[in-house]
Amino acid sequence: MCELCEKYGDNGGRWYLNPENYARPLYKKVEKGKEKEPMILTELQGPFYYKPLIELKDNPEAFEKMREGYSKFHETMGGQVVSLEDAKKMVEIAQPIARMDCICRRITRATLEDGEQRPRTCLGLGVGMFRWEEWPERYKGGVEFLSTEEAKEHIEHWHKRGMVITIMTFGTPYIGGICLCDYPDCLAIRMRLDYGIKPMLLKGHQVAKVNYEECTGCGTCVQRCQFGAIKMEVTTKKSNIDMTRCFGCGVCTYACPQDAISLIDREKLPGLKEEW
Amino acid sequence: MIPQIEIDKNKCATPYECKKCLQICPQAVFAVAPTKVERFKETAPEDYEVQAVFKDKCVLCMDCVKVCPTGAIKVKVGSS
Ligand code: SF4
Ligand code: SF4
Ligand code: SF4
Ligand code: SF4
Ligand code: SF4
Repeated sequence: MCELCEKYGDNGGRWYLNPENYARPLYKKVEKGKEKEPMILTELQGPFYYKPLIELKDNPEAFEKMREGYSKFHETMGGQVVSLEDAKKMVEIAQPIARMDCICRRITRATLEDGEQRPRTCLGLGVGMFRWEEWPERYKGGVEFLSTEEAKEHIEHWHKRGMVITIMTFGTPYIGGICLCDYPDCLAIRMRLDYGIKPMLLKGHQVAKVNYEECTGCGTCVQRCQFGAIKMEVTTKKSNIDMTRCFGCGVCTYACPQDAISLIDREKLPGLKEEW
Repeated sequence: MIPQIEIDKNKCATPYECKKCLQICPQAVFAVAPTKVERFKETAPEDYEVQAVFKDKCVLCMDCVKVCPTGAIKVKVGSS
């Protein structure tokens, strides 16, 4: 069981399907809306704060020490990969759902998903979204409220185009968003893959496996994996998924024209069940 | 060695609007963010800043230096 399910799951269920994790308590009233501002600025400046860590890349010992600190912080703000099937269950629990601009891509590539030329990808969840107009910089370009059905279509559309579905928490375990992400513009994928900040993006509850009898070696899936887990084995003319690298996003399963890849439960594989 | 990348803030006035280095870098080294955030207000273009963040990934291709219209970026081989 993943650590988050252990702590926040509902009777052994997946933590993100527990309705309690969508009901963030609205603690104390924010005085004149003052306290929130630095948090939003911190969020928008996110990558700037990783510079001290990245500067240490040449010094493995010091890097490792600092990495632990960053990982600790992300235990309160991070996420996990989810399958399309689970994401559809999530939007049945979460209300309201608002489509908004992807903050990572705005930071890393200076693109704004304006809803016309570049349709938005991110989904913000929860009653906090009703107050989006208070912080126009955070919600640049505005937000658009979606019905459950529209949210399902939205997620499916981007997932089939190759995006990884992830959950983002704001004050773990409270779920703040469902994101549609790719490398390198998604900071969560990037911080996990390149710098080992594990709680920023845990692997999903499933893992992909190729059925060698069905695979024709067309190579389509290889181009799709955002985690570099798939290679083409030239001699056998089959694709090979390194299941220890796979995050279980499912993108490859939808890309395969032969239906040769399936997602299986991580916990059914003793060698992978502790691998998040 | 991690490359040294410096950006002259005085030359790079409105990075979010220019965005040339951010979009050309094959290694996605740069990040842009507002330097302040206010309630009920979008941040002005002058209050943004671009920084070289993922410097360990830089391959010193110099594409960013070439594309920058104001000559704000300097990239050098790192020294210890
Ligand atoms: S986590 Fe993914 S979708 Fe969300 S803001 Fe980052 S890249 Fe965009
Ligand atoms: S192998 Fe498939 S399921 Fe696994 S991470 Fe890559 S695309 Fe996702
Ligand atoms: S897309 Fe399917 S058939 Fe093609 S290489 Fe991948 S697993 Fe094989
Ligand atoms: S030199 Fe090349 S790799 Fe390095 S930051 Fe500039 S564009 Fe990116
Ligand atoms: S290309 Fe030059 S002027 Fe444009 S954003 Fe980058 S550093 Fe600033």
